[in-house]
Amino acid sequence: MANIYGKAYAMNTISPMKPWKTYILRLFFFIWQHYKPLGNGLVELSFIHFARWVIVPRYAFPRLSDRQPKNNLQYDYLLFFSNFNGTWNQYIDAFSAVLFKGLNLIWRWSEKFPGSRPVTPFKNFIVRGQVETDYYYTAYSHAATNDVKAAHRVQAAFDDFERLSNGMPAEKFAEAYQAFLVQVQRDLGETGEATVGT
Amino acid sequence: MPNQSGSIYGLTILSPIKDKQHVKISPSLAIRMYLQSLPVDGRGPFGKVSSTHMARLVVLDDVVYFGMPSCEEHLQSKYLIFESNFDGKLDDYLTRLATEAKEEVDGIWQHCIGYPGLENVPAFIAYMKRCQVETTFYFADVNDKTVQQTLRALQTQSAVASFIEKNQGKSSADLQKAFVNFSNRLRNTAPPEPGSIKGKEFTDELV
Repeated sequence: MANIYGKAYAMNTISPMKPWKTYILRLFFFIWQHYKPLGNGLVELSFIHFARWVIVPRYAFPRLSDRQPKNNLQYDYLLFFSNFNGTWNQYIDAFSAVLFKGLNLIWRWSEKFPGSRPVTPFKNFIVRGQVETDYYYTAYSHAATNDVKAAHRVQAAFDDFERLSNGMPAEKFAEAYQAFLVQVQRDLGETGEATVGT
Repeated sequence: MPNQSGSIYGLTILSPIKDKQHVKISPSLAIRMYLQSLPVDGRGPFGKVSSTHMARLVVLDDVVYFGMPSCEEHLQSKYLIFESNFDGKLDDYLTRLATEAKEEVDGIWQHCIGYPGLENVPAFIAYMKRCQVETTFYFADVNDKTVQQTLRALQTQSAVASFIEKNQGKSSADLQKAFVNFSNRLRNTAPPEPGSIKGKEFTDELV
């Protein structure tokens, strides 16, 4: 299935918006870009590697030749792309449970958006707007977002320990090694094959 | 700049797909068939361009109609969506795509309107930029590490866990000697290739 590679799932959705509403959504995104509450919420969820929202105005679908038929659209379109860990259901459930206010502010400008709570109509809305991925690649398919963050913490601690312990007497080294173990122990989870989900 | 988060660039490209009537295999189906044949690991096009964290290709057949009272409307062309998250600058990335994944880029984009081929790399870059749409809001959870730094860190994490497990109960002197050997071996070992599916078995041999 091209939507999934290793521990990552590639989700794509598209939804129509009346053009005047896109200005409001752009304003929200502009504010979030600078004041970070949405970004912080996504960091706390900690199972999204990368995500993006793209507003494509009705006149902005690329037209590269006079022979290419002209689009005649009434709506602007909101595209959403996410690279997340876990199953589709877990992802939407977590979004609905934790980020429902932010999600409502993003999608309420789309036609027929039912709200992110209760979750069943929200899932129906996502299913309707979802487009399948045809090819998906990740450079570290065996690692979830938490694995990546933990690995960078281990790398930093390892670099420090290696530098500081260089040339230490053996007894001092053993003490410093114990402190290093305490520092990294919660970040040593094993990466590997993803569990099978739905 | 919404296309960027820290040192990561979020590229979104919509390339209109050719529309050929009276052919056995339509261009959009030809793209799908070609994509299906590509390896998804490091041997694929984005594994070759090693600054790619994650990338996807999607054939967008049409926009979606959500039902009354909204209006039903349709795109006049199908679009190939290319979404990529990579390190560094856009021009450098597109140049690498054009030169290091030449065969695959050609195999995919030859079915798109206006694709100039790869003989002239600046023309290819200009074409891709004409198809680019700006990201409105971009989120990258880890936005200050390159692909290679992440692969190195994952390797270190796995190797350190193995080292700790295998060196329990040693005397201080033996532990120190083992650690010095281990850290030297780790430093002198290249990180796994991007897209590699090697996990713990790769680092066990370092310990």
